[in-house]
Amino acid sequence: MTTNGTNGAALIAVERLTKRYGDVVALNGVSFEITDGITGILGENGAGKSTAIKILLGLLQPTSGSAMILGQDATDTVAARARVGYMPEHDCLPTQPSAAEFLTHMAEVSGLPPSSARTRAADTLRHVGLFEERYRAIGGYSTGMKQRVKLGQALVHDPALVFLDEPTAGLDPAGREEMLALIRKTHREFGISVLFSSHLMADIERTCDRIIVLQGGRLVQSGEVRQFTKEMETVFIEVDDNRDALVAALARRGVQVAVEHTGLTIEGPDESVYDHVRDALVEAEAPLRRMAPRRRALTELFEPTTMSS
Amino acid sequence: MTTGTVFDIGYQRYTEVREGRGRSRQAIFKDGVRIALGFGRGGRAKILPWFFIAVLSVLGLGFALVAGAANRLGGPGTAEKVHLPSHSDYYGIASIILFVFGAVMAPELLCRDKRDGTINLYLVRPVTGGDYVMARWAALFAVMTVVAWLPQFLLFLGLSAGDPAPIVYLQQHWIDMPRFLLAGAAMALYVTTLSMLTASFTSRRAYASVFLVGLFVITTPFTVGLAQEIGGKAGQWISMFNLTNIPVHVNDVIFGNVSEVTEQAPARKLGSVILVSWYFVWTLVPGAVLWWRYRRLG
Repeated sequence: MTTNGTNGAALIAVERLTKRYGDVVALNGVSFEITDGITGILGENGAGKSTAIKILLGLLQPTSGSAMILGQDATDTVAARARVGYMPEHDCLPTQPSAAEFLTHMAEVSGLPPSSARTRAADTLRHVGLFEERYRAIGGYSTGMKQRVKLGQALVHDPALVFLDEPTAGLDPAGREEMLALIRKTHREFGISVLFSSHLMADIERTCDRIIVLQGGRLVQSGEVRQFTKEMETVFIEVDDNRDALVAALARRGVQVAVEHTGLTIEGPDESVYDHVRDALVEAEAPLRRMAPRRRALTELFEPTTMSS
Repeated sequence: MTTGTVFDIGYQRYTEVREGRGRSRQAIFKDGVRIALGFGRGGRAKILPWFFIAVLSVLGLGFALVAGAANRLGGPGTAEKVHLPSHSDYYGIASIILFVFGAVMAPELLCRDKRDGTINLYLVRPVTGGDYVMARWAALFAVMTVVAWLPQFLLFLGLSAGDPAPIVYLQQHWIDMPRFLLAGAAMALYVTTLSMLTASFTSRRAYASVFLVGLFVITTPFTVGLAQEIGGKAGQWISMFNLTNIPVHVNDVIFGNVSEVTEQAPARKLGSVILVSWYFVWTLVPGAVLWWRYRRLG
């Protein structure tokens, strides 16, 4: 296990974490560990992602269970926060100061001496692509630039771990690509571990090494993204005729198919499935109209039957 | 011509010292002072604070010029003989300007952070909500104190320079300096604490400012009228709720005489101990509430 480098513990260790707001259960007995790398927390709005992050940052007290961050109890994280960065989902930037001034200030608030804070602010703004614009008031920035400032303030004090809450929210496709590239760079080049929350499967898939899926406050899946997305893959086949014969031919080859309204779906295929499909199509004399790999939609992902762990 | 090459050495990890919570508090304090005075902001952010500082300074200078002219024309000590306003009267006369200054500045320090959501960034750094609000409070208190002292210094310098015998004036009146420093700090403490507490209840600067100005302005005629109507001990206690007079009574206690503003206030008959205790009730309780409100945040 990769460690935080201080005491051999995981970066984050959550054990039976529960948070209730009156009758509403925001998190229900969630347990997971996060180690070095980029970890995504995936879940629909209200799944408990932000609640989990706020508990880990010490902004909320859990109803029960425990959460450790960088080896410290999350209920007393004041000292640990010097090594943690946070990029909130919602607006959090002042409009009047320049990006350079704001990041310098935030670095100082994180405990860096003023001279180091100024250097770090300039370096960080260069890394997030705002070096040329650093002396402009933040209020005049575009949404994409503001997201970069938000990321910059989370990184300026060189944290060991950074929490990114919906970092692509409100960005156009190009801005989203750039933000995802920056997040990858944050870990791969800067060496900072990332906990990245999103409700967009595509963002998580393309950026993260590991994934944690929350639904209705419960942990429904966790693991390596590569394995996880593979399980979520399907192959969709549509033929002009002899569909039943094709299903039978596939079944004889041990390939389980789901019959849909317009075609057949094979879940979680490996490479050999394509050979079996080819042979079954020949055997059943079924004219192939279309065959394409397809990922499940996010809504399918959150169906309880598909998410049972 | 020499040519050079710029090398990108890539991301560098920070390996120097991290100074912790003390540095964090200091940074928030420094930022608060800059916000209050409009430093590092556009020209519009500087207009209000520097307008108030100019008005208060002109007031102090005006007192000095009038007293100096009186002393020159009527001889040494004339300004005191004809009871021209001096150090002991300054805070009473300038109090409403100081209140408005506090009412405008406190929301700048607290409401913007809430409205912009920046407070969420502070609370995930190595500071608590209590640290944050106390650092902001200290920033406004420092600015208010300097703003309260500056005209008194100008007045002191003006009176010394305007006196035909400046050295003799300094020997006779040096005691005014610690008095106005203490009275100025007391005024700043009161205005800062009430203004910050009010600003902590809203994210809209205008609401906080209007409420505060209204509170200071409205309580004066209301309590004065009611105190005169009722009279007696009850009237004196009603007069205690004149919020603009609370720190001026302390000013009177410090200087040992009654200023022009509080001369007619029935509360002054209640005695120094009650007046000073009442002042502490109106600073310590709001201060504790302010701290408690932010302490809950994280």
